[in-house]
Amino acid sequence: MPGVKTTVIEVRTSPHLHGPLSVDKIMRHVVYALLPIAAFSVWNFGISAGVLLAFTTLGCVLTEHVTCRLNGNRSTVNDYSAAITGLLLGLTLPPGFPLWMAAIGCLVAIAPGKLLFGGLGSNVFNPALVGRAFLQAAFPVAITNYTPALANGRFWEFIPSSLALPLMKSAPLNDWIAQVRVDGFTGATPLVLLKFDRIYSDPWPMFWGQRAGSSGEMPGFLILLCGGYLVVRHMMDWRIPVAMLSGAAVSGWVFHLLNPTAYPDPLFTLFTGGLLLGATFMATDPVASPVTPRGMWVYGVLMGVLTVLIRNLGGLAEGVMYAILLGNALSPLIDRLTPPRPYGARKPAGAI
Amino acid sequence: MSQEQDNPFLNGLWKESPVFVQFLGMCPTLAVTNSVRNAIAMGLATTFVLVLTNVLVSSVRKLVPNQVRIATFIAIAATAVTVTDYLVKAISIDIYKALGPFLALIVVNCVILARAEAFAAKNNVSRSFADGLGNGVGFTLGLTMLGTVREVLGAGSFLGVSLFGPNFEPWVLFLLPPGGFITLAFWLLLFAWYRDRKARAAAAPAAMQEVHS
Amino acid sequence: MSSFSIIRCLGLVSLISGVLIVGASLVTKDQIRINQEIIMRDSIAQLLPGVEKQVAYGVEPNGELTRLTSVDAKGPKMFAGYDKQGKLLGVVLEASERGYADIISALYAYDPATKAIVGFSVVEMKETPGLGDKITKDKEFLENFRKLDTSKPIVAVKHGTKKNPWEIDAISGATISSRAVGRMLQKSMTEMAPIVTRHLDRIQRGTE
Repeated sequence: MPGVKTTVIEVRTSPHLHGPLSVDKIMRHVVYALLPIAAFSVWNFGISAGVLLAFTTLGCVLTEHVTCRLNGNRSTVNDYSAAITGLLLGLTLPPGFPLWMAAIGCLVAIAPGKLLFGGLGSNVFNPALVGRAFLQAAFPVAITNYTPALANGRFWEFIPSSLALPLMKSAPLNDWIAQVRVDGFTGATPLVLLKFDRIYSDPWPMFWGQRAGSSGEMPGFLILLCGGYLVVRHMMDWRIPVAMLSGAAVSGWVFHLLNPTAYPDPLFTLFTGGLLLGATFMATDPVASPVTPRGMWVYGVLMGVLTVLIRNLGGLAEGVMYAILLGNALSPLIDRLTPPRPYGARKPAGAI
Repeated sequence: MSQEQDNPFLNGLWKESPVFVQFLGMCPTLAVTNSVRNAIAMGLATTFVLVLTNVLVSSVRKLVPNQVRIATFIAIAATAVTVTDYLVKAISIDIYKALGPFLALIVVNCVILARAEAFAAKNNVSRSFADGLGNGVGFTLGLTMLGTVREVLGAGSFLGVSLFGPNFEPWVLFLLPPGGFITLAFWLLLFAWYRDRKARAAAAPAAMQEVHS
Repeated sequence: MSSFSIIRCLGLVSLISGVLIVGASLVTKDQIRINQEIIMRDSIAQLLPGVEKQVAYGVEPNGELTRLTSVDAKGPKMFAGYDKQGKLLGVVLEASERGYADIISALYAYDPATKAIVGFSVVEMKETPGLGDKITKDKEFLENFRKLDTSKPIVAVKHGTKKNPWEIDAISGATISSRAVGRMLQKSMTEMAPIVTRHLDRIQRGTE
């Protein structure tokens, strides 16, 4: 590369951790980075979101502990990864999600999603998303029951669906929503409104929070700030979120240009649904994502494009979860296709 | 095959269960086990085909030249399936509809050809009958175990009888094909875990003795 | 092995197979027909409560009707149902449309006197269990077809927003399946309502 001065030599075939950054230190800081988002979620949706987040976090930690002990192994809860899984799972669920279903999500996320593969470092998929995918497939109605943000009395009254009895349906939420809603906010998320009713919403309120949605998928600015903190501390690779967001924005923009009435603009694509949260905190799962820099770009762009394809052409309103899971499944393959060139080696003729 | 294990009925029933050990005929296993009734109906239909095929194959085994062996077995299995198809239609159209294309697909269920080729072609009629019956009942048992989990979780009922009342929230996933895979995986996990524990318990005293000696 | 023994073997097996299949077919033929008729009869009785007598018609491509003797006949069919006095209760028609997973096929009852759909039942579908399959049994949804006006195009509207007698209140969470039901009824009605009206006299007379 003539004219380019490189000061840093990067040989990155494995994640060579160095210095004082240990796995549990990184994980602990990821928890710190998630806490502001969780706090905002409680402000938005009240006690239901707070209890849900605490419940999923405890549920995942407990599942990990018990499963490890049942197998006669040392408990691995001290590395904070189960707590992250729990927090992320809670953040991706609707705030009024029945707690007994959330408990099943924790079980599935940790036991088959992570420990069955061999625990932290061996999981093929992001465990939180395994749990959520199971819940989405098992309880498709409950997981799309969204409630408005900033409801009246949210700090001392549960959303009625939260406390549904185990194995039982939750009561219909329509009456409750009509009673508590603040003017202008409905229970439907902007993506659902667009997909099924062709109603377009302004994307900026999502960026600042305070629309109906999963407990932690808003507000965009806070998610980006918290993700930025991890990037600055070298605890997260910036390539994956940047690649995923630009993949989604560009492909969303192409759709928008082709048919502006049917497909939303790129800003809407970026700020709605779980795209920001997913790109920042879930696609970046260090175990389930590629390790080569080029691989990260391929992986990120692929997931971004998949998200837009599912949203615009599929039967579901939101596609981030399946896009990331598919990306996870492909990441070993992506790693093999994008080996970094060893330092000093020449590019063989005819290579990609 | 050693002498004491040589009971073709019991082998097929559990020790070499077509569902959990041989992993044969996965297509109906996963497709029609979303209710106990369908699972039993499919199991019984397969049992009937298995017994009929085994007996017919065994009785003509000395006449069949090696070159056309497979063709003959398939022809016999197809006959048995066609007969079963008529019978099920005559017994209940509802069950016939629930089983759908999978009834006709019994003919390509590997367990049929596997038993014909591996057992009936080499054994006499009565032993082949026992083998077919054992494998058939074992298949039915396996399907019913899958069907039970899937119906209880997926519909909150057992054989159509509601277990949890009208407010039960069904786990839709278990009625869909992925639910079949997941249920099968969990049954296998359970068996493997149990075997593992038993093996460890058996190994533990032996290890102790070694230390002492 | 000579080719003779191969031929002998295959011939023998084919012979046994043939005999078995023909035998099974003969033994079960009548029972299968009875079963099919019972199912048809039951579903018609369910759509038109109080029905005592049924007449099956085949619908020709040119819109003419022919009396049918077997429910096995190919092509579009309609069934007229009469009460004890021989008064026409309604006609049962077939409809089908692409749903979420596969083609949904259904029977529905149409009352020519009030020009309304008075009953609906799904014959075959592969919609998602727990969501789309509610079109077969959801009480609130089936309530739509107690008296569904056909003077305006039938449409399925979002759950809880039904205002007009020709609208179907969709199942929440199963909008695609509900809309398919609306489309199938509208499609079948535009095609069949004129035929029923044209032959109404003959249908009302029944068997005479």
